[in-house]
Amino acid sequence: MRFCRDSVPEPAVRAVVTLVWPGRCAQLLSVWLRRRSRRCGPLTRSFSSEKVIQKDCALPNPSWSKDLRLLFDRFMKKCEDGSWKRLPSYKQFFSKNFQGFQTLYLDPSLVKGEERAQLFTRSFEDGLGFEYVMFYNDAEKRVLCFLQVGPHLQGAPGFVHGGAIATMMDSTTGTCACRAGGIAMTANLNINFKRPIPLCSVVVIDSQLDKVEGRKLFVSCNVRSVDEKTLHSEASALFIKLDPDKSLRKKS
Amino acid sequence: MMRRSFQVAARLGHRCILPRLDPAAAFGSSTDSLVSRFCPVKTDLKDYALPNASWCPDMLSLYQEFLEKTKSDGWVKLPSFQSNRDHIQGLKLPSGLVAASDKSDWRIFTRCIQVEGQGYEYVIFFHPFKKKSVCLFQPGPYLEGPPGFAHGGSLAAMMDETFSKTAYLAGEGLFTLNLNIRFKNLIPVGSLAVLNVQVEKIEDQKLYMSCIAQSRDQETVYAKSSGVFLQWQLEEESSPWSL
Repeated sequence: MRFCRDSVPEPAVRAVVTLVWPGRCAQLLSVWLRRRSRRCGPLTRSFSSEKVIQKDCALPNPSWSKDLRLLFDRFMKKCEDGSWKRLPSYKQFFSKNFQGFQTLYLDPSLVKGEERAQLFTRSFEDGLGFEYVMFYNDAEKRVLCFLQVGPHLQGAPGFVHGGAIATMMDSTTGTCACRAGGIAMTANLNINFKRPIPLCSVVVIDSQLDKVEGRKLFVSCNVRSVDEKTLHSEASALFIKLDPDKSLRKKS
Repeated sequence: MMRRSFQVAARLGHRCILPRLDPAAAFGSSTDSLVSRFCPVKTDLKDYALPNASWCPDMLSLYQEFLEKTKSDGWVKLPSFQSNRDHIQGLKLPSGLVAASDKSDWRIFTRCIQVEGQGYEYVIFFHPFKKKSVCLFQPGPYLEGPPGFAHGGSLAAMMDETFSKTAYLAGEGLFTLNLNIRFKNLIPVGSLAVLNVQVEKIEDQKLYMSCIAQSRDQETVYAKSSGVFLQWQLEEESSPWSL
């Protein structure tokens, strides 16, 4: 499931917010989004007198292996001509100033936990869980995720948990869907596992938008070793574009 | 140590292949013997599948209900240790599958966040005769996807983990071959989701299972899924054929 904290195209978010949260608040959010999209770096809170910088986790840190750094460097070079872009990635969604946005979608009794919340794939100390960076190519409708799997993602001893790979395949295909069609949610995820992935290795998740039918977005992806010789798993996913007239609350 | 692990993993990763199937291998361990080995009576290992202050009232009361069923209805509460290695003491993976990193820093994915209430809070009850499981799952704020709701990947992982333990105890299932999940509704962070897993059939060295994740009152279905696991017999660590 992907709510696209990092990757939502600004016009899509603006459209959704304007429909459900009209008036001055939507205008302010729109301004914030435009400023954010001009930056490729830390996310700052614009409406507070204090500056709060969130760390962009999709940048090298000391836990990154040589393989991951090489891939990162290679694709940063590809970003120079604009065909590929790196996606920044943060631990938390909107800052405290956007509680109004949350209450539109959430049951008020759930909002109290939001200040402690973190994006699942960024809830680890450096090197212990998912270390990853995504690059997207809008022309090819493709998202690549370079992923280093840490020792806290164990399944069978020495290997990555199937659920951990499922999480990153969901995140990568979701990013691909959101880049193409705006905010979308996972409806179906079908994964075939071929070869177990050793802990502490680096893999490449390559996702591609296959087709769009109305609000349905069909995305496929595969997970390969860095040298592309080993196919670890492949998946097909269906995402549904969010209906701005409906909240995310339970539907019967 | 970490860098060395990555270097070793890089060399081994592309050569990692599953061992060839041995048609003569019999999956002779009965479910009862697998369960008794899996659930040690005495152990120093910390069992994470026990109530703590973060458990919501629904989870606590349903846990008590199932605990009663372990006394008379044939249900077994499964322990949950920090590493899967701890669950198979005295056994090891088949020859040909090599561990890449030092064992001491391994942690099973569904116990990756150990601060109470922040990550996965769950307990699995297994019924050996009926070959079914029930998992009580409460996702914490560090499992978030959409604001206020659990990441779909966290539910996928919980389903895979419940499938995994069920497959192992019901028929020595070891590796996930396929996971197919249909998401219906989001799970609010901090609420209880009940996962019901059933072994549908065992055929051609594969275990086929189904799962439905829903609210306690069954009014809300969060997701439905199916899983296929490959049967593979673990070896005794003292085996003369070990590498």
